[in-house]
Amino acid sequence: MDAFTLSEVLEDLAAAGDRFAQNELAPGARAAETGGAWPVRHDEVARGLGLCDLDVPESLGGAGAGALAKVVLLESLAHGDAGGLPALDQPGPTVGAVLACPDQPLAGRVAAGGRSGEAGAVLVVCDPETHGAPRLEWAPARPPCRWVWVTAGDGLALFDGPDELAPTQALAFAASGGVSSALEGCREVGRWELAPLSGHAVRARARLWAGAVALGIAQAALDATIAYTTERIVFGKPVAHHQGNAFELAALATAVHGARLALRDGACDLDAGAPAAPYWATQAAVFALDAAVATTDAGIQLLGGHGFLVDHLAEKRFREARMLGLLWGGRDAAVADLAAESLDVDEAVFVQGAHR
Amino acid sequence: MIPLDAPSRALVEEVRALGRQYMRPMGLESDRTGDPPPADHPFYLLCSRQGGLVSRTIDPEAAPDGAEVPQWQPFRAALIAEESAYWDRGVALSLPGPGLGGSALRSTATPEQSARFLAPFADHGRAHWAAMAMTEPGAGSDVARIQTRVRKEGREWVLSGSKMFCSNGARSDWVVVWATVDPALGRAGHRALVVEAGTPGFDLLKIEHKMGSRGYETASFALDDVRVPEENLLGGESFYESRQGFRGAMATFNMARPIHAAQGVGMGRAALDHALAFVRAEYPAHGRRRQRALERLADMRRELHTARLICLHAAWLARHGVTNALEASYAKLFAPPAVFRVVSAALDILGEAGVRNDALLEKLYRDVKILDIGEGTQQVQRVVVARQLFGFPRDA
Repeated sequence: MDAFTLSEVLEDLAAAGDRFAQNELAPGARAAETGGAWPVRHDEVARGLGLCDLDVPESLGGAGAGALAKVVLLESLAHGDAGGLPALDQPGPTVGAVLACPDQPLAGRVAAGGRSGEAGAVLVVCDPETHGAPRLEWAPARPPCRWVWVTAGDGLALFDGPDELAPTQALAFAASGGVSSALEGCREVGRWELAPLSGHAVRARARLWAGAVALGIAQAALDATIAYTTERIVFGKPVAHHQGNAFELAALATAVHGARLALRDGACDLDAGAPAAPYWATQAAVFALDAAVATTDAGIQLLGGHGFLVDHLAEKRFREARMLGLLWGGRDAAVADLAAESLDVDEAVFVQGAHR
Repeated sequence: MIPLDAPSRALVEEVRALGRQYMRPMGLESDRTGDPPPADHPFYLLCSRQGGLVSRTIDPEAAPDGAEVPQWQPFRAALIAEESAYWDRGVALSLPGPGLGGSALRSTATPEQSARFLAPFADHGRAHWAAMAMTEPGAGSDVARIQTRVRKEGREWVLSGSKMFCSNGARSDWVVVWATVDPALGRAGHRALVVEAGTPGFDLLKIEHKMGSRGYETASFALDDVRVPEENLLGGESFYESRQGFRGAMATFNMARPIHAAQGVGMGRAALDHALAFVRAEYPAHGRRRQRALERLADMRRELHTARLICLHAAWLARHGVTNALEASYAKLFAPPAVFRVVSAALDILGEAGVRNDALLEKLYRDVKILDIGEGTQQVQRVVVARQLFGFPRDA
């Protein structure tokens, strides 16, 4: 398996995800946002496609299909509507913590609680150089949410039962809901010092999740923008046929294509257990997040005033893309992780430092 | 991680060793003197020997349906392009082999023609080159405007006009020349003909002097009633019914663009490695300046990694016979400006230490710019992508 070819199974998975996204998620996206949740049927179908199982190992009750399968499905679903994904997908962005936790029976119980909908988990990324108690500023979550994974450097901790998870609205993902908490009164269930650079793996899985969702959003924004701008006539021809706009769309399409290859490549690295896999997964996520912000920005800009109205989904995608780059420490924490390995990382393809 | 088979890995390792021993020193020497290495340089013979680099990009065993037709291998060519350009892009372009002429054969020629024109490359006693001549003084990116004329006289084709920016043209056994039977026909009038070296009227005008990438020759030709046998019309006359001729030209570029772009990835890697070495050796162990450099290095790696994936993917599609017009343009659109940013960022990291003529980086900065021009500029690629994705009109 590599980033250039999907197996028949994954092609089928993507096609099923695409159909669901086109036929049900996209038409209901605005209503789900207004209502604060996906319809129950959407949850059921997404679960039926394996959303909560694909990247969870069979030993923990999951499907063991790996990160590539997850990236492919997330892109498909997010193309229709990303709004409900963060809360529904358990363990989802916390799967890196589940995999890295040395206490696998405990991690398995936490993951199982999330997958069954009985007790969700959220991930908090802390700056290892910042001292003081961790805070949960905001996380997409749907009650009941019980567990809080905290990653800082190569440290990992699990907290149980924050006293109060205050429902908190945010820039986007209203269909998931959100919570915040000072995490006071939580019981520390475990604290572990992982092997060097293993903390990056915890965060890289969350970032890959964000990157895959961002990719789906970006592709949806690109498709919608092209559809609109090839119909809307300005100064005697379609908006997209003015060279300035056409060139911008071409560059954005290239970035989205590159993001897809990079994310799939990063997922393959994780599935293969490649030594530098977290590094390249984070690189892919940063590229995808940047591409999504640029594409969704153009998605409003090229629609003009219409893009600013809630009549179109452009403004929703614009908010979602930006927000994905802020979750789990955000882009800056990702770049900090990358910078920390700048002088040591092995090349991903075939170079392996032979020139030094 | 793109898995490479053992032969491909061995190929990359071989290029690496050759690059270190020959290509980097040859490139620096050419940059200093302004002249490409001579065609009888021992390095070229080394590449052409039995089992050498050249023969491994032309792989008879991989021919589809078991035909005994030599097949040019775009994926392997992309691997070689990246690794060889790491050491010197100019010398990389000067490597023996069918080059763009080979791309034209693959997209346009009949099996008999491919076998005939690739046959010289089975001669391991000396280096052989081939080339393609498309660009003219008045027709660069807009290849539909070529003015070199070709007419049929009996069993011969007769060519008249001029060509420029023909890489390795002056040392080639043959050159694929694109010409038109009638400029008024536009793309439908295009024909591709193989002109063999020494054909009367096929005259070298000059070798161009360039800002960078001086390790290969860039030739200009005059074609003064050059007569070639009718068998040298690539694809035969039936190929040019409807718009096949122009499609052949474009298919040639579709195979060449990812390889051209992959060279950029190699150059970017060279810049990155210099920047890495400089930070390790010269930067303070802590502090804001070091952190800024480390973040820059991460940005550089991200650009290069994505560019590499896009290039290899487009070459992979070509290798498997999948239409790659869009993906080839993605590669050519993305990689050159990305690599330019990488080289420029490396200069920032080295500062004044990077601009001295005895430092490789300032050469890379001069070398890299042509990548965004040759094989279709970034602007042409945007047009191609826009046409493919949403029907951007030709007269916009």
